[in-house]
Amino acid sequence: TMLPLLLLLLPAAHGIVEHVAYTPFLTKTPVLEGLTTGSTFVLEQPRCVFDDKYSNADIWLVVALEKTATAFNNTVAPGTPASAFQNFPDSVPAYMTLNATLANYPCPKASGEITVLRVGSETSCTEDVARPTCNGPLSGPGPYMVKFLALEGSEPVAETDWSTPIMLRTAKSPNSISTTDEGHSAGMIAITTILSILFAILLAGLVAMLIFWGSDTCGGSSPFSKPEAVTVRRYNTHHVYDQPAARL
Amino acid sequence: MAKSDDCMRILQGLLVFGNVVIGMCGIALTAECIYFVSDPHGLYPLLEDTENNDIHAAAWIGIFVGFALFALSILGIIGIIKSDRTLLLVYIILMLITFAFEMASCITAATHRDFLTPNIFLKQMLERYQNSEPANNNDKLMIEGVTKTWDKIMLQNHCCGVLGPSDWQEYTSAFRVTHSDADFPWPRKCCAMDEQGLPISLDGCKLGVPGYYNSDGCYDAISGPMNTHAWGVAWFGFAILCWTFCVLLGTMFYWSGIEY
Repeated sequence: TMLPLLLLLLPAAHGIVEHVAYTPFLTKTPVLEGLTTGSTFVLEQPRCVFDDKYSNADIWLVVALEKTATAFNNTVAPGTPASAFQNFPDSVPAYMTLNATLANYPCPKASGEITVLRVGSETSCTEDVARPTCNGPLSGPGPYMVKFLALEGSEPVAETDWSTPIMLRTAKSPNSISTTDEGHSAGMIAITTILSILFAILLAGLVAMLIFWGSDTCGGSSPFSKPEAVTVRRYNTHHVYDQPAARL
Repeated sequence: MAKSDDCMRILQGLLVFGNVVIGMCGIALTAECIYFVSDPHGLYPLLEDTENNDIHAAAWIGIFVGFALFALSILGIIGIIKSDRTLLLVYIILMLITFAFEMASCITAATHRDFLTPNIFLKQMLERYQNSEPANNNDKLMIEGVTKTWDKIMLQNHCCGVLGPSDWQEYTSAFRVTHSDADFPWPRKCCAMDEQGLPISLDGCKLGVPGYYNSDGCYDAISGPMNTHAWGVAWFGFAILCWTFCVLLGTMFYWSGIEY
């Protein structure tokens, strides 16, 4: 009686998927400008995550929306319409892409190496249903959740946790940029006021000049004589010499 | 009488000196404004497209004002030495007209410099750069001008966008219409280039790995020359006008002292 019981247990044991305690995350080093864009995001590769016993397994990336992640079934086969990129998110809850083996993710990671997976980098196969595992650009801002799934043959054998929700960037319209005047700088105000005052003074001066044309002004009690003035002949008068004599 | 004579002689000397300085400043102003009008940094297409290139107009006025100042200063020197009332009156009136024009040029340059904020250039770049649907022929020329200027700025100054490459991510743009976000998070000109003018690493550039793309914004590269241009015209003109004010007041004083 033990034998049928053991036989019953064996298929069940065969279907257990090992849960690897690893949460996929966006690359932290180096700091990337394009970590999330409008249609792509950059994940850190799962280095030193899966045991060596999975060296024959295919490690797939499962991408789902936050709200559809729970609807994903591990038994879905990659490369079929049930997991095709082209059908996401309209008719499938998640798609599978970026398959690799443990050889692609050597452990430990060489220092200085940038180990990233860019989700959304393949733009040529977005419409090609013959390429259901296309790593195509995402069409909405998300939020998305991802996990890694290891398959041996068509059996899922290990999976990681779902990542925290990943939000992509949304772009605003340039019409939202305000270009109205932000006020005048101090320099401009200074120039305008001082020059206006100077000009006003000069105009006043001109008017004063023209009004007092010809008459004596504060220039001096006696007008300045022009160099070409009539030359006065110097002449001696008796007065000059007589005066001192008279005083004596 | 002798004392008044001496005062007038000193005033005469000062006025001649003042006019010499005005003449030289006039030539300097003309030279400076010709330099600005020649657009050594190639930024004029950006200004032209904003339909607000009054800084350019201010520089043009500066050229002619500078020349007028030089000519009038010679007239002034002759008038002062000859103490000719008519000549000096003509000099004063023409100088006042030149003063008014230069005043307009200074104020225009200063006001329109304030208008050119980063937002203006950002909006222009997003709407014009690599726009593939021009409304008419004039539009097409403007778009080509803006695109070529931006490409040149980004290549020469190793910069991207107005405030940074994220400008292309934060806002939709005419560029985004023809270039997908996944392939072109920012234009190729933002990538670090090798000697042949090709990106060193296209993947590095698309990811935004430091060293493979230009992370600085181009606003400093644009506003630097533009500031020099505007303040060069505005403040130098202001200085000349202050000096001219003093010389003109002295001339009016001198004129009223000449025997009729």
